Amino acid sequence: MTIVEAAQSLRKHAVSSAELTEAALGRIAADNPKLNAFLTVLEDSARAKAKAADSELGRGIDRGPLHGIPIAVKDVFETRGVRTTCGSALFKDNVPARDAAVVEKLAAAGAVLVGKAGMHELAYGITSNNPHFGTIRNPRDPDRIPGGSSGGSGAAVAADMVFMAMGSDTGGSIRIPASFCGTVGLKPTTGRVSRYGVMPLDFSLDHMGPLTRSARDAAVTLQAIAGFDPRDETSSQVPVGDYLPSPHCSVRDIRIGLPENFYFDRLDPDVDAAVRAMAAKAESLGARVVPVRVPDIAALNTVGRVILLAEASAVMEKYLAKRDHFGADVLALLDQGRLLSATDYVNAQRLRRMMQREFAQLWLQVDCLFTPTTPAAAPRIGETTTQFGDQKEDVRLAATRLVRGINVLGLPAISIPCANDRLGLPLGLQIIGRPFEEALVLRVAAALEDAK
Amino acid sequence: MKNWKLIAEANQLRIPTPDLERIAPALDALEAAFRPLVMTIPDDVEPAVSFYVFPESAK
Repeated sequence: MTIVEAAQSLRKHAVSSAELTEAALGRIAADNPKLNAFLTVLEDSARAKAKAADSELGRGIDRGPLHGIPIAVKDVFETRGVRTTCGSALFKDNVPARDAAVVEKLAAAGAVLVGKAGMHELAYGITSNNPHFGTIRNPRDPDRIPGGSSGGSGAAVAADMVFMAMGSDTGGSIRIPASFCGTVGLKPTTGRVSRYGVMPLDFSLDHMGPLTRSARDAAVTLQAIAGFDPRDETSSQVPVGDYLPSPHCSVRDIRIGLPENFYFDRLDPDVDAAVRAMAAKAESLGARVVPVRVPDIAALNTVGRVILLAEASAVMEKYLAKRDHFGADVLALLDQGRLLSATDYVNAQRLRRMMQREFAQLWLQVDCLFTPTTPAAAPRIGETTTQFGDQKEDVRLAATRLVRGINVLGLPAISIPCANDRLGLPLGLQIIGRPFEEALVLRVAAALEDAK
Repeated sequence: MKNWKLIAEANQLRIPTPDLERIAPALDALEAAFRPLVMTIPDDVEPAVSFYVFPESAK
């Protein structure tokens, strides 16, 4: 069941928020010991909020499609009076005095927060193999990683524990778990969703967005959380759009760019076939598929790595004397960032400006891009390299290769499940749009879902 | 390639030598990819990080 379907059932009194919430808590109780998707479960407050939602709906007070829907947020979002760890030993007892802007907005929309999802330590990695809070497992194959850093969010949605879980995405951390777990994951445009009250990994690459079971569920969530927030320096005053695709939305005459360079290099053949099949499907629905050459994405990724290393190390500088409080992989990245020069950081930001201008030219030719989200399905827990033909690639670099650059450019992008590989593991299609054109990205995604 | 150990010492970063040796290959690879890009930046390109001043800043 999706949010949109559950919302209809709630209004027909076919189900209550209390029943949906009990079902969510029941699945968490049954599966969380195996999957470790949740760090904190809020049974009592969730039951109270569900009861209040039922009462409001019974009295004709309707807060919209999220009203009474059980959800989760990644443990990077501050929650007043509820422990917020950021997956770190440094913050294992941190109880914030405020709610993040997203948490405020979800509460105002009537959503029922059932818990805080686990994550890669400090959101700085893609395995969600957390040395302090344990390994998070992929519901599609518990011997594999769920991806990260929003691994608990991806696992919670894929295991039907909640209808939606919020994630954060600095170099792919929403889209990678979406691809590996077989869910939808939306990274909005920079400035579209407030970062206020989210523990930062990075100042200029962090984005907040939902992981869901459908594109329309991502749309109704974005509708609830988007908008200007003066408490976030990067928050945009661009008006919020109407994101929910209509029931019979069309892709007719939309120009879909299919990259001729970079994005189809070094892929599992099943990924290549699955993404091209989705482009063919879109074409059969009336879209125009246009071969395009994209700017130098490898260079964009390099620039993104310099920015992330420098900014993340700046964020964590004051904690770095406590070296034993960090996992080895995160500490290695933080040390790397401290060794970069200020000159390199500024030049990375200058290259970012140049590449933003280059990419803008692409949008004269097409309305969106289709690419794979990840070059292969989820790796096994503990694997450090991914094999592509006769080449090996570091698991972390491979997983972020097709998604990291989009954070540097601040563009909206969604990952939707597009096929399973020969082992039955899910694969993701990434749809990238122009700045603030989330509505178009969601419409294309929904049309492809409808055509399944 | 840069001598990461000397840079760490000069900046008093107190990164243990084994840890430095582990991260050096990743930094070398990043340096090799990044340095040529820097040489392509036209002089008048400003960084994407901006600092804004508004009248309200005085309040």
